[in-house]
Amino acid sequence: MAEQPVDVEPVGQNVAGEKPAAEPDAVTDDTTVHDDDVELERTIGLVGGLAIGIGTMIGAGIFVFPGLAADNAGLAATLSFAIGGVVALLVALPTSELATAMPRSGGGYYFISRGMGTAYGAIVGLGLWLGLMFASAFYLVGLGHYASAVFAELGVALPFSPVIGIGLLFGVALTALSIGGTENTAKIQNVVVGILLVVLTGFLSYGVLDAVGVFGGGSVPEQFFSRGYFPVLTTAALVFTSYLGFAQVATVAGEIKQPGRNLPLAMVGSVLVVTVFYVVTIFVATSAFGADRLGQFGETAMVEVARDFLGLPGAVAILGAGLLATFSSANASILSASRAVYALSRDALLPRRASEVNLRYGTPHVALLAAGGPILVLVATGQVELLAEVASFLHLIMYGLMCVALIVLRRRNPEWYSPSYRVPGYPVVPAVGALASFGLIAFMQPTSIGIGILVMLVSYLWYRYYAGDVTLKGDI
Amino acid sequence: MTDRPPILVPIRVLEGESVPEGVPDLLANAHVVLLGYHVIPEQTAPGQAQMQFEERATNRLDEYEAIFEEAGATVERRLVFTHDGQKTVDRTIREHDCLAALVPNATGPVEDVLVAIRGAVGIDRLARVVAGLFGGTDASVTLYHVAEPNETDADAETLLDGLADRLEDQGVDASRIETRVDRDQAALDAIVGAADAFDTVVMGETDPSLSTFVFGMPADQVADRFLGPVLVVQREPPEETEE
Repeated sequence: MAEQPVDVEPVGQNVAGEKPAAEPDAVTDDTTVHDDDVELERTIGLVGGLAIGIGTMIGAGIFVFPGLAADNAGLAATLSFAIGGVVALLVALPTSELATAMPRSGGGYYFISRGMGTAYGAIVGLGLWLGLMFASAFYLVGLGHYASAVFAELGVALPFSPVIGIGLLFGVALTALSIGGTENTAKIQNVVVGILLVVLTGFLSYGVLDAVGVFGGGSVPEQFFSRGYFPVLTTAALVFTSYLGFAQVATVAGEIKQPGRNLPLAMVGSVLVVTVFYVVTIFVATSAFGADRLGQFGETAMVEVARDFLGLPGAVAILGAGLLATFSSANASILSASRAVYALSRDALLPRRASEVNLRYGTPHVALLAAGGPILVLVATGQVELLAEVASFLHLIMYGLMCVALIVLRRRNPEWYSPSYRVPGYPVVPAVGALASFGLIAFMQPTSIGIGILVMLVSYLWYRYYAGDVTLKGDI
Repeated sequence: MTDRPPILVPIRVLEGESVPEGVPDLLANAHVVLLGYHVIPEQTAPGQAQMQFEERATNRLDEYEAIFEEAGATVERRLVFTHDGQKTVDRTIREHDCLAALVPNATGPVEDVLVAIRGAVGIDRLARVVAGLFGGTDASVTLYHVAEPNETDADAETLLDGLADRLEDQGVDASRIETRVDRDQAALDAIVGAADAFDTVVMGETDPSLSTFVFGMPADQVADRFLGPVLVVQREPPEETEE
């Protein structure tokens, strides 16, 4: 059996006197081995990994952004999504290498803390936790929009906008479900993703045929860069939230079977799949209505597109798919956030109590509440674009640093670093990936950047105060 | 003395399952692969459960290991935190080349053993388990077969005698071996009915599907209705396929 030795020994202790948990002795295809006779089983296969990646991502890009993106960039929003996809791919490749070298829970946080040290790790780890909260809140607001559209469809006139209320309600429900539910959520996730892909493939195939004129007039696309060139990049920065999911695969890297094979396939595969779906969706949507009208429909623009093509059944199908997709994205993000809390508390960057497991349900209730609570506050703001951008900002910092960590590790080449997958085109790919990640941040709104920097600053100060003595860096 | 057959004893160590009475003596001649496992929901990282429960689980396993060793067995142990108990059990059986897995139920001193045989397939492993565990004891071993409608009595006897010969070769005293054939009954009901008079049942895996989990269908039903310990002899593992 191929056993990878693990030789990173974290030292030091935090303010509360807690030490980082010991690292495992070895990593095999089926387990992570501690002390020779304690094993952590790996249970997620390739399909499960792809479902996590695609399920997290597809909710946003297709069901929330088309209207907003078309409003910002016109038909060129297609290009924005393509740029996002390329950046995501440039990061997914180095991430795959890191993940096969260190298939442990915590994903990007783990790689960066081991490759570049505790300070970077803390900023990324706490940033990842908060970033996932922003992302979850964003999905929940999207979910609220879809649920409201259902009411509108049913002809129920409400005297107030139910968007935020519904988002909050689902936020509470999801958190409660995660704490109390012990059903096989992963299987449900696989099915949901399967249904979504089938519905979308059908819908988009029809849309593409229609757009090129098979079913009638066809529609001549308007001018491609109708809003100019600059908005293409700002829109790319905005919609990058649609590409955050592949890193969530790395968050559960410790539970993936045959990590050397399945991690790269799941991460790169899910990015490729969603990129294709996104680009085609925007193309279809903009060619159906034109960017101007699409923009007016806002978050639920896809429902109108489906209605235009297929009438009421189409609208209902997309409404249902939208609800499922945003729900599964929010769910996956809350679970990932809880994994991030666990990874931080394992390394003594957060109190050990934070990853405590509930005796009754066996679930990490503190970590889940630590994710679910703040999400409600964020949902209450209802700021879709702001939430999305801050989530992207915090993730992009992590992505950029992951690329840097890869370069650092390759240059120092410590003994324990032996990835079974090596990124092609080193050092160009990780270097460009890092530059692209940091570069994309520059095109965000100043408010988003401000909030993002604030989060990083607070994270750093927390580290200095709480865990300044902890050293997590691998021996490099 | 024959080789100690490796027997898997899976215990849900944190859910109050312990080593039932009589089991340590039953496995006194075995190489016990003691698997303590804890199934956690998907919301929880296995490492998270490990951080919190490892110490408690290890203490329990220490106790169990001592009990088995005191009874005379050699013990190898594993503690696994998993989302999927079945996968863990299957993998442990494979990695440790376990001949059989125990469905742990309580029993008194083992004097009468029922060995249920379906066919000639896997009979070699069955013989190794029975001879290894009971060869050096005074227990009487009853070889039991439920004949198919199109199977003659002679066929059934050839089958049972074949196993009896193997057992004798491996050191089981011929005077302690009995054979018995029943027919016109559903195999499962027949085994459960016959088992009443015995202290433990040894049987093969009956389910030819991929699922080899010891708590899977037939063995599970026998164990549920029999209420005593059941040793489920595992099929020959398929040849290792290297990727």
